[in-house]
Amino acid sequence: MRSLLKTVVLTFLLLLASSLAVFAAIRLSGGDVTAARLPASATAADRQLFRHQMGLDQPILKQYATYLGKLFKGDLGNSLTNSAKISTLAVEKIKNSLILGATSMLLVFGIGIPLGMIAALKRNSWFDTGITSASVAGMAVPNFWLALIAIYFFSTRLGWLPSAGQGGIKYLVLPAFVLSAEGIALTVRMTRSAMLDNLNQDFVRTLRAAGLSERRIYFKHVLRNSLLPIISLAGLRVGQIVGYALVVETIFGWPGVGQSLVNAVLRRDYPVVQFFSLLLVLVVTLGNLAASIGYTLANPKLRK
Amino acid sequence: MSRFRRALKNKQLVIGMIIAIVIVVLGIVGPAVFGDYSKQDLLRGHKPVGTPGDFFGTDALGRSLAARATYGIRISLFVAISVTGLAMVVGTIIGLIAGYVKGLVDGVISLLIDFIWGFPLILVAVLAAASIGSGLLPVILAVGLVNTVAIARVVRGEVLGISEKDFVVAAKAGGYSTMRILTKHVAPNVIPVALVLSSYYVAVAIIAEAALSFVGLGAQAPLPSLGQMVSEGRNYMRLNHWESTIPGVIIFAMVLSVSLIGDGLRDLLDPRLRTALERARAK
Amino acid sequence: MTDEPLLDIRDLSIGLRGDGVGYDIVRNVSMSLYPKEILAIVGESGCGKSLTALSVLALHASPPLHITSGSIMYDGRDLTKVSASQMRAVRGAEIAMVFQDPMSALDPMFTAGTLLTSAVQAHHKVRYDVAKSRALEALADAGIEDPRRRFGEYPFQLSGGVSQRVMIALALINDPKVIIADEPTTALDVTVQAQILDRLKELRAERGMSIILITHNLGVVASVADRMVVMYTGEVVESGMVEEVLATPQHPYTKGLLGAVPRLNSDAATLVPIMGRVPQPNELPPGCSLPIVAAESSMSAGPIARILRYMVTP
Repeated sequence: MRSLLKTVVLTFLLLLASSLAVFAAIRLSGGDVTAARLPASATAADRQLFRHQMGLDQPILKQYATYLGKLFKGDLGNSLTNSAKISTLAVEKIKNSLILGATSMLLVFGIGIPLGMIAALKRNSWFDTGITSASVAGMAVPNFWLALIAIYFFSTRLGWLPSAGQGGIKYLVLPAFVLSAEGIALTVRMTRSAMLDNLNQDFVRTLRAAGLSERRIYFKHVLRNSLLPIISLAGLRVGQIVGYALVVETIFGWPGVGQSLVNAVLRRDYPVVQFFSLLLVLVVTLGNLAASIGYTLANPKLRK
Repeated sequence: MSRFRRALKNKQLVIGMIIAIVIVVLGIVGPAVFGDYSKQDLLRGHKPVGTPGDFFGTDALGRSLAARATYGIRISLFVAISVTGLAMVVGTIIGLIAGYVKGLVDGVISLLIDFIWGFPLILVAVLAAASIGSGLLPVILAVGLVNTVAIARVVRGEVLGISEKDFVVAAKAGGYSTMRILTKHVAPNVIPVALVLSSYYVAVAIIAEAALSFVGLGAQAPLPSLGQMVSEGRNYMRLNHWESTIPGVIIFAMVLSVSLIGDGLRDLLDPRLRTALERARAK
Repeated sequence: MTDEPLLDIRDLSIGLRGDGVGYDIVRNVSMSLYPKEILAIVGESGCGKSLTALSVLALHASPPLHITSGSIMYDGRDLTKVSASQMRAVRGAEIAMVFQDPMSALDPMFTAGTLLTSAVQAHHKVRYDVAKSRALEALADAGIEDPRRRFGEYPFQLSGGVSQRVMIALALINDPKVIIADEPTTALDVTVQAQILDRLKELRAERGMSIILITHNLGVVASVADRMVVMYTGEVVESGMVEEVLATPQHPYTKGLLGAVPRLNSDAATLVPIMGRVPQPNELPPGCSLPIVAAESSMSAGPIARILRYMVTP
């Protein structure tokens, strides 16, 4: 428990430091902001004045403090491209990304763990071989290409599902599956190898000798032991989903944070880039923190 | 059985190597054979594979798909292999130092390593592009940082285990210098792990470069990147699917070959090292 | 000893099968366990004693190991032929096992209490509080000082000795007729060893249980067991009452074993090692264990150990 507290404190310090680094990196390339806002005919003095008005000539730490202060008041500034308030924009984008991200996480574990368990239970069967090879291939297909293939077959050819946009659950199916594909493949692999590993542990023999049923040994004891490494790496899955969402949302025209960030970078819309970058750094950090808390709570050795 | 003959018996390794050799040869000789990747001919656009005169097909601007794809292989391999190679060297050194020296140095290094390790490569690359602008440079920086950290992390863990072993303790007791212990006794035991791991990280780097170029933040026109070709071709899936299929299949084959090589090498490794690998591969 | 045997192993052979290999690791082993007796199986690592014991409850790794012939009679049934669910009903309730390394033999994710109550509920449809009170009793029976506290503790919180007592509680909890203890004290301190063995002896007296004790320690055999079986390279080479076997060993291997036991009344220099190593099953010439017999007949004088010098020739 004590080590957990230490982890939380250190994580927040690192979060502060890394967000400052991201903030500074984006701010220090501020030449682009002035270039984007001012006409090409602006003089050096005009630029200097603009930088002063925007507070860009102040020390970076002070700028960051000012930014955080505004952030907590809900003032995120305006987009450069359409002058919309970022705070209004952000709520909708975050909601959309949460729907897509949560569905994908659910698919990663909801499909990956059971498939890995069955593969381990029926090891060396055709099912196991199929699942194992599919997961090797699943990790080699880049997901943007998987997305194109899925769109080609399920939208263009078969016309079952929409290729892009947002609406009912139909619109969620393709992006969610593409986003979770690699995570599913990894989870299957990990679950399978952890289950096989634990099935060979001495404690399984003890439980058998005590007369427990195979089902109970498998689903209660072996599974509980195997879930530990999977929980400890769940934070990485969050990060992975966030990373791939940048690409997948763009392909499927899913109006979320990932698509907005990529578009904002392409358009050099710095206030938007600034906010969404910090947001994703926060999400990934919290995801990893949640996983390490979960691991501590699930592991009797660390919990006590 | 000699190590080489054992390697030849390993199917994954052999298949992976064959694919890899084909791709590397394509990347080296392709641009010379298929001509200028930027030569446009708007009258000969969207030609499918097998068209007389444009046997390997053309894109919307009538540029040779083969010339562009083989040049794209060069870019991809440069970013993935040279940068990951450098990351392996730097990461191994950092990991050796952190794991062996321990104490405050290790505390700080491992804290940073664990933190950065939690971030996906693609996000880091996008953040880099957000800071310094689109192009191959942010991709190279991101691949370098993330892969260095990933390798340092595993090497550190291995070193922590090894430095408790009797042969290291004996070397210390024998009065050998730290440098000598690290290079002669510890490093030989962790370098195989770092090597195998690097092959997996090459795969991650290939995907990241392609994905960044796909969304427009990586290689910029007129440089032909495979990811960018897939992206340009996706609007013409019905008209001429080759424009995205050729680069797509090449990316798939590259990633698959590196993964197969990694799996094959892992099987040749000491079984004790395999668990460390499985864990490190969880990304 | 006039009773019928409780457990009767007849001509049991266990083989390794698969991928182009096929040879028997345990060959034609026979032994009987009578009510209320402690039977010791003695032999060095790899002689097949643990495998024989595991096969009684079908706990050997199968595949690649298979019972190739013979029978294990218990309560009128041949345990090598019963169904999986019938075997499950025997495990823990009729015949229980205690394993060698208590630290790895207990599931690290569950408390001792959960393990014990699960074992009760595997055989009896009882409420949790009933199972719990039985678990507490079993912990006390196994000689644990503070059952309530241990009930809620995880394996990593228990010392080796306490873990082994939890294992014994797990074996006792469903009141079996037979307990098979596979090197139950090897991983423990000497003082704890003695306590555990005493507890096993008391349990036999209190509950009338029969115990099979697997060990390579002749001191343990002499102080605890009634009868003993000596195994070597997968075969039974000698068996009988403990006093008789120890006083007048017939088989050269048993003599060798006795020569390797330290004695307080002799100095260490006379401690005679058994030379060579145990041959692998696939290295045995046809006719088994013959090299030893042959060596013995060619010997006239000299230390016993010389007879046993067994060099495996490729």
